[in-house]
Amino acid sequence: MKKDEKVHPAVHELKEDLDKGKLSRREFLRYATLLGMSAAAAGQMIGVTWPRKVFAANIQRGGILKVSQQVQKIDHPARYSWLMPSNSMRMVFEYMTLTGPDNVTHPYLCESWSASEDLKTWTWNVRKGVKFNNGDPFTADDCIFTIQQWLNQDVKSSLLGLVGAYLDPTGIEKVNDHQFKLHLKRPEISLPEDFFQYTAQVLNHRTFEGDMKKAPHGTGPFTLETYEEGEICVVKRRKDYWQKGYDGKPLPYIDEIRFIDMGGELSPQIAALKSAEIDLVDASDNPGPQIMKAVQNDKHINVLPVATGTTRVLRMRVDMKPWSDNRVRMALKLCQNREKILALAYQGEGLQGQDVHVYPKHPEYCKKPVPAYQPDKAKKLLAEAGYADGIDVNIAVGSEWTDVVRYAEVLKQDAAPAGIRINIQTMPTSQYWEKWTEVDLGVTPWTHRPLGTQILKLGYTADDQGAPVAWNETRWVDKEFLQLLGEASGTLDVEKRRKIFCKIEEIQMNRGPIGIAYWMNTWMCANKRLKNIEAHPNLIFLFNEAWLEA
Amino acid sequence: MGKFIVRRVFLLLLTMILVSMAVFVITEASPGNVARNILGAFVTPEQEASFLAQLGLDKPVWVRYLYWLVGSDWQASKKINRPLKQILTEQGFVEWWAVREDGRLVRWKLSGDDLIAEVRQEDGTKTTEKDNDRWTTDEQGVSIFWGLDNDNHAVKWEKGTDRRVWTFIMGSGWKETSGGPVEYIPLKKGFIRGDPGISLRTGRPVGNSLYVRLRNTLVLAGIAFVIVMPLALVLGLLAGLKEGSLRDRVLSVGGMMFSVIPEFATGIFLILIVAVWWGLVPGATVFGEEAPWSRPDMLILPVLTLTLIELGYVLRITRASMVEVMRSPYIRTAHLKGLPYWRIVIKHAVRNALMAPITVIMLHVNWLMGGVVIVEVVFGYPGLGKYLLDSALYKDINALEAGAMILVMVAVGTQLFADILYTFLNPRIRYT
Repeated sequence: MKKDEKVHPAVHELKEDLDKGKLSRREFLRYATLLGMSAAAAGQMIGVTWPRKVFAANIQRGGILKVSQQVQKIDHPARYSWLMPSNSMRMVFEYMTLTGPDNVTHPYLCESWSASEDLKTWTWNVRKGVKFNNGDPFTADDCIFTIQQWLNQDVKSSLLGLVGAYLDPTGIEKVNDHQFKLHLKRPEISLPEDFFQYTAQVLNHRTFEGDMKKAPHGTGPFTLETYEEGEICVVKRRKDYWQKGYDGKPLPYIDEIRFIDMGGELSPQIAALKSAEIDLVDASDNPGPQIMKAVQNDKHINVLPVATGTTRVLRMRVDMKPWSDNRVRMALKLCQNREKILALAYQGEGLQGQDVHVYPKHPEYCKKPVPAYQPDKAKKLLAEAGYADGIDVNIAVGSEWTDVVRYAEVLKQDAAPAGIRINIQTMPTSQYWEKWTEVDLGVTPWTHRPLGTQILKLGYTADDQGAPVAWNETRWVDKEFLQLLGEASGTLDVEKRRKIFCKIEEIQMNRGPIGIAYWMNTWMCANKRLKNIEAHPNLIFLFNEAWLEA
Repeated sequence: MGKFIVRRVFLLLLTMILVSMAVFVITEASPGNVARNILGAFVTPEQEASFLAQLGLDKPVWVRYLYWLVGSDWQASKKINRPLKQILTEQGFVEWWAVREDGRLVRWKLSGDDLIAEVRQEDGTKTTEKDNDRWTTDEQGVSIFWGLDNDNHAVKWEKGTDRRVWTFIMGSGWKETSGGPVEYIPLKKGFIRGDPGISLRTGRPVGNSLYVRLRNTLVLAGIAFVIVMPLALVLGLLAGLKEGSLRDRVLSVGGMMFSVIPEFATGIFLILIVAVWWGLVPGATVFGEEAPWSRPDMLILPVLTLTLIELGYVLRITRASMVEVMRSPYIRTAHLKGLPYWRIVIKHAVRNALMAPITVIMLHVNWLMGGVVIVEVVFGYPGLGKYLLDSALYKDINALEAGAMILVMVAVGTQLFADILYTFLNPRIRYT
């Protein structure tokens, strides 16, 4: 650790917590880095040696990587609605930070950051010597322009709801060409992670005019050659990228990546992967076990697993009968036989859920027992709620999510003894997405996010007027929950934070609007000739240092 | 004959108009929301509204049909009060510009309360200047301006309304402004002027995608057709020569066996056996930018699947037709006359026996073009059928219409071809 590296005072508190055993090393690293300490320095502080990059001489340069991916319509990165386009454009455009596969956020285009003690003023230092692929130098103006794009009403970015909740356009201050400050409306700790949202790619403020295809000027290791929606996207290595490889020459090692659109059907993509026509399938928007199951015994395919917070949420609209009665909600939740559901719906490849939208790998997760399957208790609750003869309900499920359908089928079977007669309404996935916030009972897929607070804020909060936010599909607005969540988002001490989360989880378990039966694992399955890659919980592509064996 | 053909062409146009209307109405009536389909579930209501407005989907259905058929530039031109011009930039993007009084190409953007004109110079570079004189005032006293934006829309801008937004203006920072774009007309030339429009799903001109897909499909369908039809006809005729013979039984049962197995099953079995197990040929088609003929090995399994499916069907029709002809009195007469057997078969029987199969074969051309979607999906083949399937799922009306028009042309065209072919097979058939 450099002597002059400024350390946030809270880091020392964290260190004390660690010494007292209140904090795991993993959590210490995550929070120290969140507060602007470099991962290396934080690691040094607690005696962790980071695995040294393999400087093996066998790394080879060159080659063409072929990926199967639906080449979607793109114009503005802040408007991506799927992960897939962010994966191909990730090669061209980069982010201010980087949340690694281990959920630790590292500096990236911003080489360091620090937060004031009250967590309301954040200072960001922009990396020097980085150039866009059209030759423009990368400066604080580009970061500011990008953040302003998110906050611009007309851009209509989903980041407006996330970052806009704590930052106003007027709160951005440019200090100099390589530093800017953000003055927040309220304390917040998730900035570094928010800046690695898939929609947060940094734009060139000199050339960007609303369509990235017309000015594909990013700082990334590749340049955009071809972008034909529905057909193919080709990116080629640039020669003056800012990161250097083992041999001292600029990265990346791979010459060219071709993203080929083979449609959404998995079987031809699996067949192409097996016959080595492609090296990798972009499964980021469809991260089920199908590919893994099909290729796990294949000798020339690498299966890299990772546990994620991706889940299927059994969501009940609390503003509609009968779900407005907590006893009915509780009854349905008690009908989940979690072990059986996980085994039958997701082949046991995951963790059991506890009807709380926080998963065991989230740092603030407070350990809770997995609720047991209790149809008798459910029946009693129903009777108390006035449904002594049982109740008929419809559940909406998207038919293309096979695990969701199986989940619903198991639930139907296990809820029958409790007197809940479930009628499964399957519909094409696209149709489900059209009314996912409207149906009274349904199963909605939610994707992995690195912090528990991030998810809870997206799905279970209200705006300033008390109306549910856009993604609050259950309309569940609980005063005590909101207050605790606000408190948690401004609390740095992990122990305290987890204590708050114990209460938050308790509330969501006891009167919340959702059932969560399982958390899903995911896998990256690539041809073995693709080296030096790691599976990320979001299955995003971090291929700067990946290389291909000839 | 000439009159007949003219009448058929006329019928073709009528069918196309009716089908295009039907496709519009059906797409309109089917449930689903284009914005949600394309942008995903997590769009906000504002994003959705802006998306629909920018694509012109907030307009009534007859207006959209009209725009699709004859274009929208003439109407936009009237509103903007300047002629419009479509150009192709060096990078290959289609751009619409208005022609200014001095002949230069111009379009506008709103920056705060200022209207900025972007003027295209002859060398393709752009200069910008303030152009606030163009604002006019409407009956309500609101400043309005109809212009062109940089995304190929005619746009009606307003200022001084109640709608207040924060916008970022380069050089001066954040500013609270009022008004903004309130109405969009997406510019297109219209189908009858050769522009099928932009695909809503991909944002790409339909023509570009359709060309590739049509080419791929023609290659697949063409190869399958050339292999399967002569084979099926010959085998069918052979089987029908002598009903009940061993040859007949083997061919009929064999053909039936493959045609009753659904094509996805045949396809997957072929992939499993030939591609995965034996590893002889690739089990999926990955072309990228290349044309299908650059990787003939990838075509083997799809063509084989189509062949197996089609063979039995056409074979049995031909066989039945042949059997019937061979039983007819004139063949018996020919036998009794003492004509050689093969001469009877080739000169007298085959021509008549071909009538029924020709009808079926011609109908199957259409099926091979648009209906082999299952085979395309199983092999990941980027063909027309899959393109139409995706378009239908996303309610991508422009792509659907263009695809439907091609299929109508193929259907009517092949029927015309079949009708003409009949006259050669049976000279008694005449058209007037």
